[in-house]
Amino acid sequence: MWKISDKGEREFTGGKEDWQVVAQIAENCPQYKPDDEDEMVADEAYSCYNCRYRRWTIKSFTCLKD
Amino acid sequence: MRILVSIDDTDTMKMDGVEVRGTGELADLIKQTIEEQGWGSCEPITRHQLLIHPDIPYTSHNSSMCFEADIEESFLKTVIDYASDFLSRESTPDSDPGLCVAVTDRISRPGWLISFGYMAKNYVLTKQEAYDLAEMLGIHLSEHGGTGQGVIGALAGAGLRLSGNDGRFKGKLKIKAENDIISAGDICSQGKVDMVKCLEEGIILQDDEMIVLGDNIKPIWMYGKAVLPVCAVSEEIAGRARWQTYSKSQMKDF
Repeated sequence: MWKISDKGEREFTGGKEDWQVVAQIAENCPQYKPDDEDEMVADEAYSCYNCRYRRWTIKSFTCLKD
Repeated sequence: MRILVSIDDTDTMKMDGVEVRGTGELADLIKQTIEEQGWGSCEPITRHQLLIHPDIPYTSHNSSMCFEADIEESFLKTVIDYASDFLSRESTPDSDPGLCVAVTDRISRPGWLISFGYMAKNYVLTKQEAYDLAEMLGIHLSEHGGTGQGVIGALAGAGLRLSGNDGRFKGKLKIKAENDIISAGDICSQGKVDMVKCLEEGIILQDDEMIVLGDNIKPIWMYGKAVLPVCAVSEEIAGRARWQTYSKSQMKDF
């Protein structure tokens, strides 16, 4: 589900369209924080794709929280 | 005179444990000040997504924010000075903010600015390229902290706004409608949408066509207008309305 990127960051291996999985991850993440409304891209109430601590990469995103 | 104000790369998550403002919010505050001070009137802000690439340092999204304003010529320097000071003051230390202010009638080669905007969505560009083009076209471009890399996105944002065909509007629209169903004509008459269009089918909706409103009513910047994208309704909710507004996930590519 996660790999360590070339920059040493934790990158999600499911890409940018794995809506259900990132919703489940976010629902169970104590550090989840919603991003600005303008930056939200997922329809689910909780989603890593909508989180303030995700950083988009070419194929997916990295999570800034351990 | 008509100007474009574009900013980029201003925000990070936290500074000394305190949540800071994002680029969109800073653009909004600059816009508010222009209007409150009587320097001019402003159009809504658009958000423009730029390239995500390992070689491009960015704060959180690599997107720039831009708005148009009509100001008195005598206030041009005032606006530039204010926005410059504001970005220097409000941007966080580890961000690389950039400011672009372009007088649209004075841009000697508008096509070059638009091209720069689209290049920034597809290629890694340099600060020097941004400064060289800004100087050639007579555009104000300045950096206000950090590496100043945000000048690339700021200039690109102005070009993409000028193109009339990129990005989505900041914020969500509040449209009054009974049972969340409304006609295209009534949406447009409320003043924040110029046109309702089904992009998949290439159809501009007639005034009497009915639309189901979702919770993410957000126009995109297309043909130099605020265009509300809609898609055909799913069978489950089909009734009086044939169309529905885009969800967040449908909107992500704009």
